[in-house]
Amino acid sequence: MKGRSSGQIRIIEAFLAIFIIFSAVAISANLPAKNPNSANNSLASIGMQALLQLDSDGSLSAYIASGNWSGLREALNLLLPAGVSFNLTVYDTQMRQTNMETVSNGGFNSQEITLVKYVCTSRSPEFRCYVIYLYLAVAK
Amino acid sequence: METAKKFGAARSGQLLIVAALAIAILIASTSIYVYELTTQKQSAENSSAVELALAVKTSLRNAAVSALANITQGGQKTVLAENLDTLADVYMRLYPQQICQIRYTLLNGSGYEGGVKLSWNSNNGLGVSSVYIPYMLKVLAPAFNVAVNDAINITTTLKVHGFCIVSENETLKTVNLTCMVFNEEKPAQAEWIAIYYEDDSGAWIPVNNPSITDWGNSTYSLLFTVAVASDFVHVSAHVVDARNIFVVANTACSQAS
Repeated sequence: MKGRSSGQIRIIEAFLAIFIIFSAVAISANLPAKNPNSANNSLASIGMQALLQLDSDGSLSAYIASGNWSGLREALNLLLPAGVSFNLTVYDTQMRQTNMETVSNGGFNSQEITLVKYVCTSRSPEFRCYVIYLYLAVAK
Repeated sequence: METAKKFGAARSGQLLIVAALAIAILIASTSIYVYELTTQKQSAENSSAVELALAVKTSLRNAAVSALANITQGGQKTVLAENLDTLADVYMRLYPQQICQIRYTLLNGSGYEGGVKLSWNSNNGLGVSSVYIPYMLKVLAPAFNVAVNDAINITTTLKVHGFCIVSENETLKTVNLTCMVFNEEKPAQAEWIAIYYEDDSGAWIPVNNPSITDWGNSTYSLLFTVAVASDFVHVSAHVVDARNIFVVANTACSQAS
């Protein structure tokens, strides 16, 4: 009687162990090993802050209005950290591309590209509104 | 042999407790890991929301500066609403997957009309060009919701005061005028200054080539000579600041004692 009861306990223990291990595996499988958005979010944040800083004194719209694309490229090079590749495209309110010259610091080697959308308005008496698409990637 | 079997049977319960503990630690650590990931994601979303609110505020500020520059240089007051509507429309179209609303109010009262205040005609040495726009930003995105109530204040203030010195020929007066320019009550730079004085017939005459000293702290001293018979010299200072906003201030310069 004692031996039979001990055997049943062993079976229950075995099932319990299997259940616990499988539940741990199931929980772990549903967890992302690494949050893929965190890197993109921080890159987007860096890009947004660079554009905000340029726009805070009206420089961003002044570069665009005067077509000073090399000046804009240099300004972004200074504001973005080393090792970040960028490509900037400027559109008008009808989403027609405004910059005929490429505003970039080189090609993207990374597969993870972050897009920052930004609306820039001019301070000049003749009002202008631009939509900026800033693509960012960490150079590898 | 019998003793060993009994010992093994007795240990199996302990083994189960140890295994259960190990698995409990595993579950606790995975729960903490999940919690940390969720916190990181939440802070990233909050940061995006704050940046979007800042971007909207910057765009609204620039649109308001543009409108005030236009209005003070002869444009219609409706330009302000047009600029803001254009901006709100672009934001709506830029984020089609989320609701991004910018609602603004054009202030009427306290000297403002349609959100604009131009106080140029007072004779107390103070001139003001201003727009004030209370607004509400509402973003309903899958990841975050933002509701911001704020206001845009763009104000260029010009303060002028001065005195005049009568020469031996009593109709000639040397006027020493001081102009101070402020943007939102902070010292600001003037891009262009023109001075007018009122002659004996009541007409405003431009002063040619006044001597201007820029003290570098938003203060400008101007020195010029005019021919007027009255004891006071009525002066009008016209200034355009670095943001292209035009402002006028008038004052009467009495004789220095």
